[in-house]
Amino acid sequence: MGFDITVFTAAVLLHFTNKNISAIRLYMVQSAAIGLLLLASTLDRFTPLLLIAAIATITVKVLVAPYFFYGLTKRHDLKFSVSTYLNPPVTLAAIAGLLVLTQIDFFTPLVSLGTSEEKLLRLAFATILVSLLLSINRRGALSQVLGILSLENGIVSFALFAGLEQSPGFQLGITFNILIWVIIATVFASMIFRKFGSLDVTSMKKLRD
Amino acid sequence: MTLLILLATPLAAALASLAARKKLVMLEITAALAALVEFGCVMGIIATTFSSGSDRYGSFLAVDSLSAVILITVALVGLGASFYSIGYLREEVRKQIIGFKRVRQYYVLLHLFLMAMFFAILTSSPIGMWIAIEATTLSTAFLISFYNKPSSMEAAWKYLIINSIGLLLGFFGTLLFLASTANAGVDQFISWGALTGSAATMNPMLAKIAFIFVLIGYGTKVGLAPMHTWLPDAHSKAPSPISALLSGSLLNVAMLAVLKFKIVADTAGASAFSQDLMIYFGVGSLVIAAFIILGQKNYKRLFAYSSIEHMGIVAIGVGFGGLGTFAALLHMVYHSLVKSALFFSAGNIFLKYSSTKIAKVRGILTTLPVTGVILLVGFLAITGMPPFGIFITEIYILSAGVAGHLPIVLAVLLLLVLVFAGFLRHIVAMAFDRQSEPLPAGETSFFTIAPAILLLAVFIAAGFYLPAPLERFVTVASSLING
Repeated sequence: MGFDITVFTAAVLLHFTNKNISAIRLYMVQSAAIGLLLLASTLDRFTPLLLIAAIATITVKVLVAPYFFYGLTKRHDLKFSVSTYLNPPVTLAAIAGLLVLTQIDFFTPLVSLGTSEEKLLRLAFATILVSLLLSINRRGALSQVLGILSLENGIVSFALFAGLEQSPGFQLGITFNILIWVIIATVFASMIFRKFGSLDVTSMKKLRD
Repeated sequence: MTLLILLATPLAAALASLAARKKLVMLEITAALAALVEFGCVMGIIATTFSSGSDRYGSFLAVDSLSAVILITVALVGLGASFYSIGYLREEVRKQIIGFKRVRQYYVLLHLFLMAMFFAILTSSPIGMWIAIEATTLSTAFLISFYNKPSSMEAAWKYLIINSIGLLLGFFGTLLFLASTANAGVDQFISWGALTGSAATMNPMLAKIAFIFVLIGYGTKVGLAPMHTWLPDAHSKAPSPISALLSGSLLNVAMLAVLKFKIVADTAGASAFSQDLMIYFGVGSLVIAAFIILGQKNYKRLFAYSSIEHMGIVAIGVGFGGLGTFAALLHMVYHSLVKSALFFSAGNIFLKYSSTKIAKVRGILTTLPVTGVILLVGFLAITGMPPFGIFITEIYILSAGVAGHLPIVLAVLLLLVLVFAGFLRHIVAMAFDRQSEPLPAGETSFFTIAPAILLLAVFIAAGFYLPAPLERFVTVASSLING
């Protein structure tokens, strides 16, 4: 307990931050917690691929991705992130609703996986749902990207607590995703700013039925 | 070895295209040669799978009957799209819409897209399949934003974000399934076989939860409602050959992932649950597509919504089970062929009329006589008119559901009538109404006509005579899915 609370808290706070820089820092903290969890798992049971996944996570998520995002906000002078679709009280209520959802019996098989305590898995599952809400609720392209990356962090934390981190498939999947996706998403966010003069995705209204 | 060559060919073609300097013809020759080699490899793989039940290379690449069905569609549509691209891009270069660099970028991404799809089908690992499908998102995002217009950027962004969220949920579902193998002591790269083998020990409730995530995740890529919102935008904004590949190949590849996980979930004891879920998502997709088709104003979006409709029908067929599954698999093959031909004809219309709005396109039969006929035949085929193959598969699917799901069968029937009415209204106006300002008649080139004719001819022939390998693959695969 500790790193897992950090991962979850960062996902919740990402909903309420107004400044892009704060959102990027929150994501860095969340990713650092995930990276340290992976490193701890490597120390516990060493495999070369897990070590690579841990190093890749820390390098890409804590250093490279924030560097790209800082560059994006600096280049286009984007101090404040675009608002959410739901206002803060409703967002808070939605997060509370998601937390309640993780407690229902239907998900009991999910949180009984592995050897970790049930509450750790419930918290990781809650992180997944809260991050999913984040990527849907945010209007800014950068915030959406951070939401997806936070969702990925939630899945990694769940896999860690479920004891699946040693699976080579898991490590390969995560390493591939973080290496390629971050770069492409940043390139696209930059292209969107150049085309629309804003990262507000609600300015994209050309395609309607 | 053929499996390896099939993966190496598009990679080599992508590298060769990247190295090309100022010679358009080099890019075209590379694309044509690569498409022919890939098609030849697939035919070789089909022959081996037909004679020995499967084809494999080491423990990482394998083709079974189910994969073979999808491989055939990707190979055929890939061949058609590669040759169609030559004529389509030549015309765009001639009109100075794009230059050499953009064409090179297009071909590099096209080859990478094909490679990712082939890998998704060939890999024997669920995680490998996830990585490959994620790779298709990344390569095609740039193809959707190819024209660099605000609308294409919008479509590409939606595609990237929605599919990335979907695929992450799919990854989560995959991990939950992998948990069963971890409990069974399997600690290596897990194959589909090992996953299915250990699924019997999996908690059925966990299998249900995992299948929900997988269906939502990969279902996003399939275009099942309500996760379909990216599809009409992406398919309508991408260059036409890419729209054909997205609709005719990629949706099938993503559906392959859903079907493979359905087999695993069913083995774990979640059979009835997975079937019901497939029916719900299928009917939802059909409802949304049918009503939007009726009032559609853009012909490329019309075809895109038709893809959502047909993926819905496939999901319903698999949900009904029995003969429905057999028909659903065959339906995927037929849909691929016709929809690709329709997107090629959409490309020809766009090249001539410079608009994708239905209201601005009139008199196609006069202006583009061959394309007009392809459009009309394609329309009758895609809406399930007899004597075409889609009519047969739809009848089979509906008959499979009559005993257990009569209200759904009646609803589907009604929705299919709506789809036909929508198509009839739009296509008749586009084909027969008189153009206010007549355009010079004539097709763009041989390359923009031949691939559509080829795919339509294969579709019509396959409707009357099912080749023995295809029949065997569909039979074996459907019995595997039905359990």
